[in-house]
Amino acid sequence: MSVLHNYAYYAGAFGLIFIGLYVILTKHNLIKVIIGLGILETGVNLFLICVGYTRNGTAPIFSRAGLDAELMVDPVPQALVLTAIVIGVAVLALALSLAIRLYHHYGTLNLREIREQKW
Amino acid sequence: MVNPVLLIAVPLALAFAIPVLSLFSSRAAKLVPPIALSFNLVLSLLLLPKVLENPVIVSIGGWQPPFCINLVAGPVGVLFSAIISLAGLLVSVYAVDYIKEGATEKYHTLYLLLLTGATGVVLTGDIFNLFVFFEILCISSYALVAYKGDRAGIESAVKYLIQGAVGSSLLLIGIGLLYGQFGTLNMADIAQHIESVGRISVFVPMVLIITGLGVEAAIFPLNAWLPDAHSSAPSSISAILSGIAIEVGVYAVVRVLFTIFGASSILLFVACVGMLTLLIGELCAFSQNNIKRMLAYSSIGQIGLIVFALAMATSYAVTGGLFQVVSHTLAKALLFLAAGYMIYRTGSLDISALEGIGKTMPLTSLGFAVGAFSLIGLPPFVGFPSKFLIVRAALASGKSLFIVLIGLALLAAVIEGAYFLRVVQVLYFKAGKNNPERKEAPVVALIPIVIFMILIIAIGIYPKLITGVLNSAASELLNRMDYIKSVVG
Repeated sequence: MSVLHNYAYYAGAFGLIFIGLYVILTKHNLIKVIIGLGILETGVNLFLICVGYTRNGTAPIFSRAGLDAELMVDPVPQALVLTAIVIGVAVLALALSLAIRLYHHYGTLNLREIREQKW
Repeated sequence: MVNPVLLIAVPLALAFAIPVLSLFSSRAAKLVPPIALSFNLVLSLLLLPKVLENPVIVSIGGWQPPFCINLVAGPVGVLFSAIISLAGLLVSVYAVDYIKEGATEKYHTLYLLLLTGATGVVLTGDIFNLFVFFEILCISSYALVAYKGDRAGIESAVKYLIQGAVGSSLLLIGIGLLYGQFGTLNMADIAQHIESVGRISVFVPMVLIITGLGVEAAIFPLNAWLPDAHSSAPSSISAILSGIAIEVGVYAVVRVLFTIFGASSILLFVACVGMLTLLIGELCAFSQNNIKRMLAYSSIGQIGLIVFALAMATSYAVTGGLFQVVSHTLAKALLFLAAGYMIYRTGSLDISALEGIGKTMPLTSLGFAVGAFSLIGLPPFVGFPSKFLIVRAALASGKSLFIVLIGLALLAAVIEGAYFLRVVQVLYFKAGKNNPERKEAPVVALIPIVIFMILIIAIGIYPKLITGVLNSAASELLNRMDYIKSVVG
């Protein structure tokens, strides 16, 4: 069981990452592709949290006597995730605003029809 | 004592001062980027002699290196930050007059943020910090590609954003895997312990990080966004993207490969990929009729040559690769700046529309010709010593694979010569319509063009001006032990 507990989160994180990649690679609607980006970023954030996760862990603050440092959750990945979330918000916001402008120009969000730039 | 933190802090603070300042005077807001970047240039040049003796390590927050975020201002970092601020300064002077339409204060803010991100990437000693600065660089460049808001710009920006965001996610997964194994984000500390774990558990994060950074560095299978983004951005942004952004990507790849992973087995593969990038870039550039698209493909080719030279990993070769970075930055920025006003005056991106422009815009055309000759590698210009050094390093390495590959590189140089000389021929030797609207570019734009020409010719005639710095930068990249010792003791 403990193996399952330790690796279930990784399976979930990489599951989300691969779902996100699949959506980005196969969908033709720009909004769906952006949703895929969102899922991918969530998966990466979940993965980072897993790296520092301790089962039954506490917050890494010596708030009362008798707390064991071994049982504390690693705070660094959480700080990383906060930064990554902010970056992800910026990327998604920019992507959505570009999608609005793209729709104004082309009247469609289907990436198969938007092909003026090519090799 | 000059503190390298100022190289990042001052432009970052000034970038966000621009929107406030533009409420009072939009003329003053325009002048902020040149001021910030000239400050950075002076600071980098002051730091340069100091870091040639000993790298300056700055620990932020008062903690000791493995626990804090640190900046490592070694010869490589300061060399790159000097190039970034020099090219950035000249291009920002050009942009004062060139960028007239749209929300100009947003342009200048994003421009300064882009260069802050680039400076941060080359100076940081912490791998997550590298990711953050990389994202600053990437997000501001996505927005700047779309600055004009026309069909082509928006479409290329979307393409660039999706590929870039997937690349950054891969980079972040790689960083997470490294943190999970080593419990540290300090590059020197990771490098110290990298041999203590199994090969496969190092190989997976290495592949993820190199792939993620490779998107921004435009290494061959990952560069589909580049020709669109570089050709539909405003010309001053194309100059910065081609001259600085992709070089910073290559720097990050090389820093990770050499310093963190100390990889030697993968370098042959990287050299072959670099050569493939060079050949594909030059062949595609040859078949273009759109002048900016041609320059963008030529950037892909040059990046391939730089990657190939750095992956040979001898001290001659790395010096040559870094020299090629300098020469490509100067020449490509000059070419895009000159092309910018040619396109502005003729209103067309077609090479054939530039017929006879050598007579009506003599200085701009001369700038284009100098940049083109330098990229081809003709003698009095800076491209000659850099390419010569790479060829010499490949011959001196004694490996038959490198000798075969450098033969291919020379073939690519011939192709490069063919398409650049075709443009120069159109500029000077085709009689065009005598259109009074095709007058010379304004003086503010000519100043950076002339300074770039002077730099290209000066370093080309007297390469010793910078070879000292390049030599110690190359030895910093190759001696990872010295790097580790200087940071964590």
